[in-house]
Amino acid sequence: MSASRLVKILVLTLALVNVAMAAQSPAEVEKGIGDQVYCMCGGCVTSLNTCPMQFCEVKEGMHSIIRADLEQGKTEPEILQDLVNRYGEKVLAAPPARGFNLTAWLLPGVGLLIGLFLAITIVRRWRRPTAEAAAPAGAPPVDESVLSAVEEEMKKYLD
Amino acid sequence: MNQVGAVGLIAALVFAIYGMICGAIAGKLRSPRMLKSAQRAVLGFFAMTTLAVVSLEYLALTNDFHNSYVASHSSLALPLLYKIPVLWAGQEGSLLFWTWLLSIYVALAVLLNRRKNRQLMPYIIAICMGVGTFFSLITFWTANPFNQLSLATATGVTPYAPPDGNGMSPSLQYHSMVIHPPMLYLGYVGMAIPFAFAMSALMTKQLGDNWIRVTRRWVMVPWMFLGTGIVLGGHWAYHVLGWGGYWAWDPVENASLLPWLAGTAFLHSVMIQEKRGMLKVWNMVLIILTFFLSIFGTFLTRSGIISSVHAFAQSDIGPWFTVFLAIIAAFSLTVLFLRLDFLKTENRLDSVASRESGFLFNNWILLAAVLAVLWGTIFPIVSKAIQGVTVTVGPPFFNKVMVPIGLLLLFLTGAGPLLAWRKTSFQSIKRNFTVPLIFAVLVGAILFFAGVHRLYTWMSLFLCAFVAASIVGEFYKGARTRMKSTRENFFGAVYNLTMRNTRRYGGYIVHFGIVLIFVGFAGQAFRFETQGLMGPGDLLRAKDYLLRCESIDTGQKANYQFETAALSVTKDGHALTVMYPQKRFFLAEQESLSHVALHSTLAQDLYVVMAGQDPGSGKAIIHVIINPLVQWVWIGGIIVLLGTLLALVPSSIERQMADLHKGREELAEARHVS
Repeated sequence: MSASRLVKILVLTLALVNVAMAAQSPAEVEKGIGDQVYCMCGGCVTSLNTCPMQFCEVKEGMHSIIRADLEQGKTEPEILQDLVNRYGEKVLAAPPARGFNLTAWLLPGVGLLIGLFLAITIVRRWRRPTAEAAAPAGAPPVDESVLSAVEEEMKKYLD
Repeated sequence: MNQVGAVGLIAALVFAIYGMICGAIAGKLRSPRMLKSAQRAVLGFFAMTTLAVVSLEYLALTNDFHNSYVASHSSLALPLLYKIPVLWAGQEGSLLFWTWLLSIYVALAVLLNRRKNRQLMPYIIAICMGVGTFFSLITFWTANPFNQLSLATATGVTPYAPPDGNGMSPSLQYHSMVIHPPMLYLGYVGMAIPFAFAMSALMTKQLGDNWIRVTRRWVMVPWMFLGTGIVLGGHWAYHVLGWGGYWAWDPVENASLLPWLAGTAFLHSVMIQEKRGMLKVWNMVLIILTFFLSIFGTFLTRSGIISSVHAFAQSDIGPWFTVFLAIIAAFSLTVLFLRLDFLKTENRLDSVASRESGFLFNNWILLAAVLAVLWGTIFPIVSKAIQGVTVTVGPPFFNKVMVPIGLLLLFLTGAGPLLAWRKTSFQSIKRNFTVPLIFAVLVGAILFFAGVHRLYTWMSLFLCAFVAASIVGEFYKGARTRMKSTRENFFGAVYNLTMRNTRRYGGYIVHFGIVLIFVGFAGQAFRFETQGLMGPGDLLRAKDYLLRCESIDTGQKANYQFETAALSVTKDGHALTVMYPQKRFFLAEQESLSHVALHSTLAQDLYVVMAGQDPGSGKAIIHVIINPLVQWVWIGGIIVLLGTLLALVPSSIERQMADLHKGREELAEARHVS
């Protein structure tokens, strides 16, 4: 089996697995919102679901708002917007991906891509001329089993 | 004793300044006398910081509330076990503790290198004492733990001691808190030594293999402490904060992760320099970055510049640290730039499919992780400065960004060791990858049909299976080769194989620990929570568990009042255990804290919190969380620690080489004498 075929099969398998994976159940909506917003009491600096403070009135108030909104049939984005309207954007546990805040989301990805580009550039610059190119024309190709044996020896030596 | 401590602190500052200047002169003039004097200054610095630390501990243990710091962070009722951590419970003591740990590290470096690395030592001392000067200075100037309380009266100012102290934050009164901060600090502080070695190697142009060989262990030790501190911090959060998690991407948590990630990148890339003479500049950059991030971490932890759950650390030492960080960056990058000509790569890459490439891509991912965590951590400050708006960057951001990076890293953890140095043939790739991949696919299929349908969770467990199989395969192949040539049995072969190359196999054990930690992370996807009001006789169901409230009792200990619920637990109809979640109210601090009740198995934790009392019914609010696979995180952490300790043990080859080297040195000395 060639390497490209192997990669294709792997990609296809992952795609199928992705499609087959189900969405979260509706019962988790309230908990999901609690993970996406911070408790605004100012004392805990944690998400609403993880605020460790006992009798935190702000926490209880925020939970009440979420429950009331859910009873009114509001969707998750509508409830989040309701909380933003009441407490400001800092209630969100992650900055919304617009305006300057977009840089928060983009920079890690851009960094990852620049790093990949640099790594590939370094590998290319470091790379010696290939054995085929360096060898005189007409030289017999090296047998894979010989290469493997040399590699094992080298591994023992270097490791 | 207060005056003794204050004198110790001033004397430590004087020794640090003298050691810094003397070390620099010794390096410049190559003067053995000046080096000796600088070494003595290091020992003096250690003795004086020790005196200051002992004085502060004495004041805490004897409840001397004349001392402002002790009065703020201790109380009469505070148990003895928690009087020792008073040293690092607040800003002033923490900075003194930092300085003391640095003095221990530098004194050790001097003592272990009395007859070695003589050319490197002057600048190592100068740099470490420079760091020591900074920390002694801010401890003395802005955060002095030896300030005394006084009262202004008609006759003048008289010393004053309140009848009792304010006490320690209840969340710090937990056993893992006694060792978690020292571990983290040992990690942060220890990174000063490899940084000093690197800078000294650059300044003296001693850029051969020696500095990197010596430095590796000096990086591994603080890296191990930092990792252990991070896991202990998670353990503390899990057991004390009562929300059932162990990592919340809090800025102070992130601060400890950053140098750990950079140090991990260094520990991998340093192998390329040792084996192939490549990545010399990059390794310098990594060691500078690791130290810079260690100081940055201390800065974040101690300054409170970003809102954090670690609110006990807020202060105004920010400008001092900003200047110090700028000095570190300017100094180290200038020295590096001036020595670029001495850091030429000795070899070329033979093939893209090689261990070297694997390490390079491992570094790429680790540095991407550093960038993502750093950017997310400081983004609230950047946002405030640029758009004038405070934003929150919490778990949803970090989970979205870091999970894919973590999965890529996990893949490379398994794939890297399967690649050979220099060149790996396609046949070899096929041979090495087939069994781990088949195993992972089998595990993946079983998981899928067992109901694991979340993509990241499934991928995480799939990759864990792949990495675990590749590690087991490496041990198996190595043992089999040994068995053929030495006729040892399998276990003897595994043991001897490991001891012959502790670094390599210790590294595999560390990787295995990381796999277990990732398994624990994956378990979080299946967390279940419920809550109910419970009085005697009330029942609460949580999946297969049924909890029955037997009684609710109150009582008092020396430093807190408590309310405990006795909950008998049955699982599938069988009696399992009785759990006692507790709510504590600390008297001196006037704060309450939950004491979590846990029933742990490898499969899952039953996590019960007494959140409080319902004002209407008077019943206890009981919060129950079923947390799958959490124990794997702690076990993984222990295995990472054991693997690192193993990698620190000199291998039989290293010992033989050391004996040979020692013999040569003795021979040369004998010849010189005759």
